[in-house]
Amino acid sequence: MTDSLLRIEDLHVEIAGRGRTVHALDGIDLDLAPGEALGIVGESGCGKTMTALSVLGLLPGGGKVTGGRILFDGPRGTADGPTDLAAAPEPVLRDIRGNTIGMVFQDPLTSLNPTLTIGAQVAEPLLLHTRCTKAEAWEKAAETLRLVGMPRPAERMKNYPHQLSGGMRQRVAIAMALVCEPRLLIADEPTTALDVTTQHQILELIDELRERLGMAMILVTHDLGVIARRVDRVAVMYGGKIAERAAVRPLFATPRHRYTQALFAALPERATDGAQPLATIPGLPPSLVTRPAGCRFAPRCGFATDHCRTTEPELTADGATGAAGHTFACFHPADPAPGQDPTAEVRPAAPAAPPAGTGEPLLRLDGVAKTYPLHGGPFARRRGAGAEVSAVAGISLTVRRGETFGIVGESGCGKSTLGRMVVGLEAPTGGTIHFAGRDIATLTKRELRAHRRDVQLMFQDSYASMDPRMRVSAVLREPLVIQGIGDRAEQARRIAGLLDDVGLPRGAVDRYPHEFSGGQRQRLGLARALALSPSLVVADEPVSALDVSVQAQILNLMRDLQRDKGLTYLFISHDLAVVRHLADSVGVMYLGKLVETGPAERVFARPLHPYTRGLLDTVNAPDPDAEQAGTPLGGETPSAAAPPSGCRFRTRCPAARELCATTEPPVTEPETPGHRVACHFPLTSEPAGDGAAPTAGPIQ
Amino acid sequence: MTTTALDATQPEAALATPSLARRTLTVFARNKLALTGALVLLGLLAFCFLGPLIHPTDQIHTDLTQASLAPGGAHPLGTTDLGYDLLGRLMYGGQTSLEVGLAAGLLATLFGTVYGAVAGYFGGWVDAAMMRVTDAALAIPALFLLVVVAAIVTPSKPVLILIIASVAWLSPARLIRGEALALRSRDYIHAMRLMGGGGGRAVFRHIVPNAIGTVIVNATFQIADAILYVAYLSFLGLSIPPPAADWGSMLSAGITYTQVGYWWLIFPPGIAIVLVVAAFNFIGDGLRDAFDVRLTKN
Amino acid sequence: MIRFLAKRIAQAAIVLLLVSVIVFVLLHLLPGGPARAILGIQATPDSIAHFNHQQGYDRSLPEQYVQYLGRLLSGDLGESYKLNQTVASLLGERLPKTALLAGLSIVLAAVLAVPLGILQAVRRGKAADYVLTGIAFLAYATPVFFLGLVLILVFSQQLQFFPAEAPQADTLGGVLAEPRALVLPVVTTALGIIAAFSRYMRSAVLDNLGEEYVRTARAKGQSHARIMARHVLRNALIPLATLLGLYLPTLFSGTLVVESMFNYPGMGLLFWNAAQGSDFPVLLGVTLIVGVATVLGSLITDIAYAVLDPRIRSVT
Repeated sequence: MTDSLLRIEDLHVEIAGRGRTVHALDGIDLDLAPGEALGIVGESGCGKTMTALSVLGLLPGGGKVTGGRILFDGPRGTADGPTDLAAAPEPVLRDIRGNTIGMVFQDPLTSLNPTLTIGAQVAEPLLLHTRCTKAEAWEKAAETLRLVGMPRPAERMKNYPHQLSGGMRQRVAIAMALVCEPRLLIADEPTTALDVTTQHQILELIDELRERLGMAMILVTHDLGVIARRVDRVAVMYGGKIAERAAVRPLFATPRHRYTQALFAALPERATDGAQPLATIPGLPPSLVTRPAGCRFAPRCGFATDHCRTTEPELTADGATGAAGHTFACFHPADPAPGQDPTAEVRPAAPAAPPAGTGEPLLRLDGVAKTYPLHGGPFARRRGAGAEVSAVAGISLTVRRGETFGIVGESGCGKSTLGRMVVGLEAPTGGTIHFAGRDIATLTKRELRAHRRDVQLMFQDSYASMDPRMRVSAVLREPLVIQGIGDRAEQARRIAGLLDDVGLPRGAVDRYPHEFSGGQRQRLGLARALALSPSLVVADEPVSALDVSVQAQILNLMRDLQRDKGLTYLFISHDLAVVRHLADSVGVMYLGKLVETGPAERVFARPLHPYTRGLLDTVNAPDPDAEQAGTPLGGETPSAAAPPSGCRFRTRCPAARELCATTEPPVTEPETPGHRVACHFPLTSEPAGDGAAPTAGPIQ
Repeated sequence: MTTTALDATQPEAALATPSLARRTLTVFARNKLALTGALVLLGLLAFCFLGPLIHPTDQIHTDLTQASLAPGGAHPLGTTDLGYDLLGRLMYGGQTSLEVGLAAGLLATLFGTVYGAVAGYFGGWVDAAMMRVTDAALAIPALFLLVVVAAIVTPSKPVLILIIASVAWLSPARLIRGEALALRSRDYIHAMRLMGGGGGRAVFRHIVPNAIGTVIVNATFQIADAILYVAYLSFLGLSIPPPAADWGSMLSAGITYTQVGYWWLIFPPGIAIVLVVAAFNFIGDGLRDAFDVRLTKN
Repeated sequence: MIRFLAKRIAQAAIVLLLVSVIVFVLLHLLPGGPARAILGIQATPDSIAHFNHQQGYDRSLPEQYVQYLGRLLSGDLGESYKLNQTVASLLGERLPKTALLAGLSIVLAAVLAVPLGILQAVRRGKAADYVLTGIAFLAYATPVFFLGLVLILVFSQQLQFFPAEAPQADTLGGVLAEPRALVLPVVTTALGIIAAFSRYMRSAVLDNLGEEYVRTARAKGQSHARIMARHVLRNALIPLATLLGLYLPTLFSGTLVVESMFNYPGMGLLFWNAAQGSDFPVLLGVTLIVGVATVLGSLITDIAYAVLDPRIRSVT
């Protein structure tokens, strides 16, 4: 292994703070050949980011390397042996940072200096590491910005970070990391803060640049989909250790460590059937304040024995998959032959959900719209029309009792605003909302108060939705008190029942919300939403802040409760896989418009709208062999303050024609009843070649 | 039913978490500076209000035979130019400073909190109008306003309290208004509205309890400021007329004798003011940390 | 930016108007009302009634306010009944001197507080930080007049370094010609502000050091010193502009005390003398001008902030 570019040997990192020490990394071994791409995956707190930061000596305050070596092949063009970055003095590290190793961070807004121009920030590494003049550095910075796909780089260089979109900012961050043409690029969750389509563009860009510059890369992410087609090898981390290490294909095909296996099984994409519950990993990752004895995954592992709990497994290979350097730290590895043993815990198949679309309509939206004045304040209205944001622009849909209606779309498409209007947090500026046959705008104050019992909201961030000064008992009692339900004893009984329903111990009532983990808080949020026995629950991104394994627990819980209590869900999410798993019907939103709606399996299997098609093609499937089908979406979503004329999607649509710019597309059902699309040229089964007459859309 | 598995670190029923108030006190007590502040304040209170029991002096009648004595003998801190025992006068003057400061600071906080909460909760035009008034009043430096008002009316203790409170309520008003404005759009207020709850519940069950930390912390700083205002007014000769005294007027009286070196007329009251104001600031600082306990996990 | 400016200026105009209302109300709270304030304490009831009618003080309050505002706008602030001069001309003499004292103090405060704050942030949790924090707390708690007295006792009485009286010259040039006599007033005025500003700098630098862009700069290979100079300082200094505006009232209060202690013939001394002699036209005139100066000062610092911070500058 002498030809390694980077070799990490038995790395230990501790982070001290608030009177306790976290053993963030406990013996990490990794190596990386020149030009190779390594993915590090794991859930939050597993130590993947600490591994990346320790390479550059950028550990946060209180963090230090307590053991091991990080050997980096000497600076470019020289023959000196590898440098131990863990022991190197600051000046040596400074010489390497931004020069031979570039780094891209998660949040492109906060990782750029808000008061320096983009040009100055991209040119900065050049001025530090090369002997070029300011003018030369500026020139090279512009060139690098062009390389990362920044339009009109010379003009953009004079801009400040806040003037760019999220995707463009991340391009700037990548340009900064690459401007000195490093030999290694470390990208720490580089696309987590971005939308699906932007995410795809950035990953493609990194791929292409890596090829062109011959760089090695470490891609750190929690998202198995991101890593599947972007790296050569993968290291799976758990609890500050490496659980499994393999080339990407064998790892995805035959995961050996029980944790890796469970992680894959928990993915909604891997669920065999929407009616089946997801496999879950019970419990939470270890806190790492104390070093656990034995295998760190043992407490959550269905295969753990006493041996696992007392002895720490080493990374080893075995005959079955050992050939390509596939190693794992597990005493009871999964059988590589498919279908031989159960994956993680799967409970007996639950009775299937009631068939969708048969219930009576519970919620009906007719042309619901919401516009906000662009500038707040009393004078805003007088400035005339035009200064408005059209967040939701005429949405009509029907949700039937007992079904799950999924709303998907990228950030800024208006899906959350829609949810807030349905629950009544905001009033529509146009259209009507009927609930159980009544227009909610016409309800009297008293009726509205009673109506509140029927419609509840499950928040994305349950922590923010609970008063931090209230104990759980008070949080759960509040809806009952407001609605005057029961006396104190009755309320206590109900609260206990709610906690049972969501799988929390009854003792939780004496705790404060901050004492719970993210998943537990989401359970609490659900419990409170159910306190008034509503018929409709609007869930706004209820699992997007959670790790995969916890996400599966919450999704299963929501499904169970729906069956037991006959709930109807309006499920809002940016995550296609989650919606696909849970929803019976689905609506796809783009820039305030509902572009396609219909039964979930139809919409996902045979999308009619080019945007839906594009979204599905863009999604990073957690499968290294997935073909890149069709055309992923390019470009960026236009501003809702100045939406394009005609069809709002036309600026990014591969099939857009003149008609799309002049006329708003009508809603049609070109294929099957109930599967509606708002497009002049829907993607129907009869291929509509160039110049062919549109298959739908009577307006010419 | 094992899929909805419980998390490994589930809360145990037996161990209820102590209340936030208790944890606030615990964190406060761990802050050495804040604890020192509290002890110094207790000491000063005891000195001013219990001290005269141990060291009784006549602070009403002047005694020119005993004027301007250096510290020593029967007068541990010497005497003033009018023959008052300085140690006794320090206790006597401290009573005025502390009483007026505490009363004015609390009054100002009370009124400011209500004013700010109303402006912040109603928002819009009400808020804009109410806040422009405070802006204008804040634009005139407090000391100038105080001097003008004190020049118009001759202060007694209650009048002095009212005058200072009438100027000091402005900054808590602005502060609480900001807090109410921010809290109003929190998700838990939305959640409560979705349950059918109204404005009263929002303000009294959620906004005020969540702003109480800010209110209490600010109250300590207001008291410190009020004590300083009393001192400034007295120093400028606009406080309660003699034979009443407070630390500011004692300093003011001493200034005439700096040339002849009567240092004992200056340092004791000056240091007393610094001590009490610093003590309140330390307490406020410690409380600010302590009230953030809910944000520190575990 | 233009929107922001227009909105901010409109706001300042409303506040200025309200300041004049407050002063107007104070005028009517005076014992005997404005007539006595203008005619003097010896005025008879008859002459007061006559005056009130002549000046329109028997009309309704809103009418009177409009009248009052008109006079203000034409520069008529009334006449001192002690100094036999118009308030406007008195202010014309005294205002520049106060502005000089305040300006020097602000400059001194900024020059000292910025490096002190940075030092504390860099040495956070070390001895220097604790000592400076302690001093800042003491400086906060020390009334300006006590500080002035201590400084006089030490530097003037004991060490005889600096005189205890400020320069008495009529012109600004004359004042500046006696720099030694300016030292104690300026230092006394500045100390509290140094404490406040250095505390601000300390926390602003610490906040900025915790920002992710600092980690990015380190990942580029920047040294700590250059990160401080190029990235952190810039971002920490910009909001200092608004802080300056917020401290104007404190600064004016400081000059009031300092001028009366060091007998510096500025607006503060004028005000203090007026307070001692119940010279209400002067008292209210100064109050009005100080209020106006504060409003305009904070308007200017807000605009400066907007110009300095690209995030606000580029918002149309």
